[in-house]
Amino acid sequence: MIFVATGTQFPFNRLIQYMDDWAKENNEDVFAQIGDGEYEPKNMQWQRFIGLDEYNDKIQQASVFISHAGMGNIISAKEQGTPIIVINRQAKLGEHRNDHQAEGLKWMGKLAGVYTASTQDELYQQIAKRDDLVIASGDSEDNLITLVDHIDSFLTDWHK
Amino acid sequence: MFWNTGKVLAVSSPGGHWVQLNNICNKLEQKHRVIYASPRSQYQLKKTGGRTVHNILDVSADNKPMLIPLAFQMLYLFIKERPQTIISTGAAPGVVAILLGKYLGIKTIWVDSIANVQQLSRSGRMVKSHADVVITQWEPLSDGKTILHKGSVL
Repeated sequence: MIFVATGTQFPFNRLIQYMDDWAKENNEDVFAQIGDGEYEPKNMQWQRFIGLDEYNDKIQQASVFISHAGMGNIISAKEQGTPIIVINRQAKLGEHRNDHQAEGLKWMGKLAGVYTASTQDELYQQIAKRDDLVIASGDSEDNLITLVDHIDSFLTDWHK
Repeated sequence: MFWNTGKVLAVSSPGGHWVQLNNICNKLEQKHRVIYASPRSQYQLKKTGGRTVHNILDVSADNKPMLIPLAFQMLYLFIKERPQTIISTGAAPGVVAILLGKYLGIKTIWVDSIANVQQLSRSGRMVKSHADVVITQWEPLSDGKTILHKGSVL
């Protein structure tokens, strides 16, 4: 199963159309979370929003997770041990307020387990390679612990 | 003092901001009492026994008139929960919580979203000179004084 998600803040009709077209041509289950998007898929299962537990289950069950280039989904993919392909929203198509997701692709692609696409062709090429995609190792929490300890030092000081 | 409860109020918008906030607060909960506020809280209830998640209006900074009812919601939450510290990863709900909280004498921590690599987020720039602590998750964005960097959620 391939899981597709647009995130909660904006619709991402273009991604949903790409994946609906892909699902028509390929013999694999695809499940999409489409948000408030107007385009309703015909060739894949879909739901507008999904509770967090079920959402994480879907990511875990998926062979690959296809998402807008949002940090939340990258973190969730790492937590669930599923490779993720991200495609950026484009401000000029009304898909986001600005183009930070296009800038984001450059460094996201350097993260383990994260693959990027900015066009339909690139997306399909990445999906075609899905069995070879590497999973991010979720073992290193060093950076998170450093951040939390830093925050905790302020709380401990203030909450005396 | 009215706010002297040791409670942390964690506020963010849904999606990536919320995931980052949870990454941080799941660990903070080992030592601190954390209460949450987020829009669409019906989608946010993680496997959490006693966790309190208050639902708030889903407002973006593009919709300025709606920031006013959100501010009243926040004020109500402050009086009800009496947080000693507010922490937010963004976006508009966090700005409202931090500006209002700071004004009322609550301590405030802003953790700028990891998605902002080139400059502080728009909401981060709004709270930059108001929050007690401003943290970026990217070292180049730190000035070592008012914008701090130590660690990240990834």
